[in-house]
Amino acid sequence: MPLIETKDLWKTYTMGSEQVHALSGVTITIEKGEYVAIMGPSGSGKSTLMNLIGCLDTPTQGEYYLNGKQVSTMNDDELAGIRNREIGFVFQTFNLLPRASALHNVELPLIYNGSASADRAAQAESALTKVELADRMHHKPTELSGGQRQRVAIARALVNNPSLLLADEPTGNLDSKTSIEIMKLIDDLHKQGNTIIIVTHERDIATRAHRVLSILDGQIASDELTPENRRTVG
Amino acid sequence: MIAPILLKIAVEALWANRLRSGLTLLGVIIGVTSVMTIISALEGMMGAIEEDLAVLGPTTFIVTKAGGVITSHEQWMEMMKRKPIDQKSVDLVSEGCELCERTCARVGGSARLKRGNNTMRRVFIGGSTFSLVDIVDMEVAQGRFHSYEDDLYRRRVIFIGDLVREELFGDADPIGKTLRLDGTKYTVCGVAKKRGTMFGESQDDFAFIPYGTHIKQFGAPGRRGIQMMIKAVSLERLEDAMDEVRMILRAQRHVPYDKPDDFTMLTADNILEALNSLTRIFRMGLIGISSISLVVGGIVVMNIMMVSVTERTREIGIRKAIGARQQHIMLQFLFEALVTTLFGGLIGIVLGYFIAEALVGMLDMQISPSTFAMVAGLSISTGIGIIFGLYPAMKAARLDPIKALSYE
Ligand SMILES: Nc1ncnc2c1ncn2[C@@H]1O[C@H](COP(=O)(O)OP(=O)(O)OP(=O)(O)O)[C@@H](O)[C@H]1O
Ligand SMILES: [Mg+2]
Repeated sequence: MPLIETKDLWKTYTMGSEQVHALSGVTITIEKGEYVAIMGPSGSGKSTLMNLIGCLDTPTQGEYYLNGKQVSTMNDDELAGIRNREIGFVFQTFNLLPRASALHNVELPLIYNGSASADRAAQAESALTKVELADRMHHKPTELSGGQRQRVAIARALVNNPSLLLADEPTGNLDSKTSIEIMKLIDDLHKQGNTIIIVTHERDIATRAHRVLSILDGQIASDELTPENRRTVG
Repeated sequence: MIAPILLKIAVEALWANRLRSGLTLLGVIIGVTSVMTIISALEGMMGAIEEDLAVLGPTTFIVTKAGGVITSHEQWMEMMKRKPIDQKSVDLVSEGCELCERTCARVGGSARLKRGNNTMRRVFIGGSTFSLVDIVDMEVAQGRFHSYEDDLYRRRVIFIGDLVREELFGDADPIGKTLRLDGTKYTVCGVAKKRGTMFGESQDDFAFIPYGTHIKQFGAPGRRGIQMMIKAVSLERLEDAMDEVRMILRAQRHVPYDKPDDFTMLTADNILEALNSLTRIFRMGLIGISSISLVVGGIVVMNIMMVSVTERTREIGIRKAIGARQQHIMLQFLFEALVTTLFGGLIGIVLGYFIAEALVGMLDMQISPSTFAMVAGLSISTGIGIIFGLYPAMKAARLDPIKALSYE
């Protein structure tokens, strides 16, 4: 059973009398343990697809199975449960609570799944340790660098041990040196067995993945393994 | 349990926005304080009246031509047409009522008192038989009340209230001294113990002269008639004594058996009941008016909550993105509203109590903390929190995560 299976996904926005098809019939399958990069020009529908995969949004049409469960028909609260348990989302703009400490930000998903207070703190600390930020856990986002903020966001995405880690241009707001650090971290997470999907504009980031999906005008234009992997496979 | 941690998050958010939370609090405090002031002051005033009625004593009742709770114009007209209670009625009751320990006739009006250059106008002058002092709780501070003989011989003796003593005699001993009542010379036989003020009015500007003397000077009681004050032999026999008096008066006044009494009998309890129903109407009116300030407070809460929800759209988006359900977001914001209104409510209750105490104090009365007021205050503020916090909280809970996250 694949981890992700979409069948003819459509997302259509109605702007006045005009209809904008952000996605026009996307059918993909992603297995557990894969490391997938999504590329494509601006406005091609990458974020839209990520939001659907991440259960932040629902398709206008089509089916989406996550771990064999049909999620395209779930209601708001059921989707919240899926987001909480199955998915870790990393955003380009970090999306941390500005007034809360790093530790509290990482704890947040655990609050909503009802974990006990002591477990929460311990799990959040170990997640922060994984991203090498244990010494900054009482700092607020404003007291951290961009790279450190993104590490906090990654720790938050990992804290619930999700089946899937989604990152929509995670290095988009970072300089190249910090980007490399964050990508190393993501590579490591993949080596530890996490399934990862990453949206990026940069080819050298995409080649770190094992499979690249190209999107054009809301449709999958190509779906291929990176050269390195072709070699390992072949 | 997620609720306690959501409560903690709510309190932290309130604390982080101290100024705004303070303003909301102010709106709630003003509303609750005004309602609490009114409830506490009314409770206090009722308490004072109850205490005052206690002088009548539980075994005493009053018989008059008209009185009690008058609820319609027709009733009022009917009462005005009634025959007055006359001397004959008093005599029949004093002689015929077995269960009446004492019966006293009382008439009254206002007149001018004068001594030397000191004059008091419009003083209540009561005419009563000597037993009044035993029936009502009127304590003698100096001298004595009038006696059976004073009444019998229609002597010109006068028993004065403390304010009359102070105004006419100052520090001098008034006993045996004379004063003029509408020009007629009277000798002071006694002074009543000071009763103080009620509703800002002195309770000591009165004087009593013997019943017969009153009739001699002011004439027969006329259409207003005599008021009878009757003390029953015991509390258990009060109802029976009243029935006995009722039979005597109905016979004297030829009331057909199928018609209601054409006179009124009142006990302290009846009077209290009448007062209660009056203040109930009064209370409803005042609470209605001050509820407007509560609604204003509620609108302040709602308004500021709406601003807060809009301003924190991104925060809500983040929370929903990582798995907060609608109920979690809703509870968080509802807690913010509830904590504010409950805290404001508590402050309002305390403030309201002190303001009521100061107000009622100006009328020379005292109030004590009322459980009713506290329960009312707390439920009102909880109610405001829920009613006015619910809509903004629901709005927050239903935000679409994608839209909320991209909100600038
Ligand atoms: N809420 C919306 N209402 C209307 N149109 C939208 C909405 N969200 C996205 N779109 C449209 O859908 C298309 C795909 O948008 P999307 O954000 O997925 O692009 P993207 O590939 O992520 O681009 P970028 O690389 O710039 O992030 C765009 O044409 C965009 O204008
Ligand atoms: Mg995008």
